[in-house]
This record gives sequence, C-alpha cells and structure tokens, in this order.
Amino acid sequence: MISSVLFIILSAVIILTAMLSLYFRDLLASIVSYAVMSLVLTVVYFHLDAPDVAIAEAGIGAALTISIFVLTIKLTRRREE
Amino acid sequence: MKLASFLSLVLITGFLFVAINKLHPVGAPLGNPDVLKDRSSAATDIINVNTMDDYYLRNSQTETGSNNVVSSIVFDYRGFDTLGEATVLFLVVTSISMLLSLLYKREDVDDYEFRKPNEFPGDVSRIISYGSYLLYPLIITFGVYLVIHGHLSPGGGFQGGAVMASGTALLLVSALITRHVHRTRRIFSFFESLGLTIFISMGFAGIGTTFLYNFLANGSSTLFGRAIPFGPNPGFLNSGGVLPVLSFAIGVEVFFGLSIILVTLFHVARHRKDME
Repeated sequence: MISSVLFIILSAVIILTAMLSLYFRDLLASIVSYAVMSLVLTVVYFHLDAPDVAIAEAGIGAALTISIFVLTIKLTRRREE
Repeated sequence: MKLASFLSLVLITGFLFVAINKLHPVGAPLGNPDVLKDRSSAATDIINVNTMDDYYLRNSQTETGSNNVVSSIVFDYRGFDTLGEATVLFLVVTSISMLLSLLYKREDVDDYEFRKPNEFPGDVSRIISYGSYLLYPLIITFGVYLVIHGHLSPGGGFQGGAVMASGTALLLVSALITRHVHRTRRIFSFFESLGLTIFISMGFAGIGTTFLYNFLANGSSTLFGRAIPFGPNPGFLNSGGVLPVLSFAIGVEVFFGLSIILVTLFHVARHRKDME
C-alpha cells in the first residue's frame, strides 16, 4: 500500500519535472529539472526490480548527459530566445 | 497545427493506457510460472518452456555460468547486438572528436597547468574542487566493481564504463582537468580501440562453433570456466566463460570513449573562454 502510494507520487514528480524542463526559458534550470527527472526515474526503475537499468540511468541520464549539456551551455548561450 | 498535436497527445495517451492493462505483474515470467520451481530436471529440458524468458531463466545459469541473467543475454545470447552498439559508440566518439578538434589548436591547450584544490581557480568554488577531489577515487572504484562483477550482480560493461566516465565529467566540471589528460588523449583513444578489438577477437576466438560463442564456459576453472549450480547462489568470480572478458572490453571502450567526448568538449569551451 505504502509502496504503491510512493510509486504514484514518484511518477507524478517525473511527469512534473519533465514538463518543467520544457517550460523553463533558462536552459540551466531546464537541465537541472531534467537531472531531477533522471534521478527519480532511477528510483522508479529500482522499485520495478530493474537494477541494471537503474544504474545505467543514474550514470548516463543523471551524470553524463547533464555534464555534456552544461559544457554545451558554456559554448553557447544560457537563455533561450 | 494545435489540433493535430492535441489529437496525437490524446492518441498516444490512450495507447499507453490500453497497454497498461496488457502488462503482466512485475518480476513474474510471462509463460509458465512453474518453470523456476522444478529444479530437478536437466538444463536441456526445453519442452516445458513456453516463451523465451522462461528459457533464459531456466538455462542461462547452466549454459553460460553467469548468475546475472541480464548480463548473459546481453553478452552471450545477444552478443552480436552488443557488438553493434559498441561499434555505434565508437563511430560517435570518432566523429565528435574529429569535428570538435577543428575548433581549437592543440598548442593553445597545452599551456593548462594542473590545479590542486587549494589553488582554486576563480570560476569554481572551493567546495566543488575539494568535493570532486574526494569523490573521484570512490566513483572509479564503484565503476571498476560494476565492470568486474558484471556477470554476478547487476551492472556490466556499459553501466560501469558510464559510471567511471561520470568521474571524468566531475573532474572537468570542477576544472581539475589538466594538460596531463590532454597529453594522454592519444592513450585514451588507444584504449578505446583496444576495448573494441578485444571484443571482436573474443568473438572470432569462438568461431569454431559460431561467432561470439561462449567457448570458455564450463571448461577449465582458471579461465572463467567454473560451473555454478542452478538457483539462487552467490556465484564465483571465475565463472561465466567469455562474459567477464567481454564485459571488461566494453567497460574499457565506454569509459575511454565517453571521456574523449567530454575532454574534447571541455577543451573547446576553455578555448572559447580564452578567446573572449
């Protein structure tokens, strides 16, 4: 019971942060929102008995993609026009 | 246009909700639920097996000697897919570093000095510098653990390599990276090619039966050939046949390939900043 309530809350947080990452005009805030989405998605994957996918999501989604995006923002502009 | 996007949203959401009803419970095999209960009969008993995942759950431990069924599928039963993914990653790294290295000169980035955390540069706070200095060995250790135990516990070459490459990203973000790393870029690309070469040569080593055949499994126990019993057990490090070797090769390739992308991007960013 508790775990299913927690599962619904985590899914709602995933949808919310995914929409926020599209909504923000400040690209750095958008990237941070995307990182939060990846992190919560990692918890959900672990909850669904898929630790392999959870490790891959934490390594690639939450760490590598974010740092590549941050470096790309350093190369271009921070704000969307 | 707005109507079309609204309609497609409704359609996709409807399809997803229909698909939810068709899912089977998490963790349960799709076909015969008794396939894991009967552990007495031999491994080649395929008659009771209805679907592919039943077959994997039943036979992967005795056929490949690997406790991690996912890893045995990725590196053994579907090893050719993994070779394709590794080749895609190799091509991506090659093209990205080729394109981006046009944007800076090698002489310009050779001047960067190594920075200890107490000589913190202006644009990075001391907390980030010290934190990444402390976290880096832990991240590398965890990545190496994931690669080495790929055939026993969750993880494997891709995951471990990505975790280790995130350690490189941490060093880059905290501006601790140096000309040392730039000088070792040739070594990075050498090791990346070495990983892919090990993978392909392990594939050709089993060509007597098929390409990527697991010829070391259930053989001599010095060469990862130790047999493991069916059912839940902690497993042994020297089991799994060619799986640990392939996992190591993929881990080396992913770590050094992603590190090359990150280092190249960082040098372009640094060069642009110096130009301003």
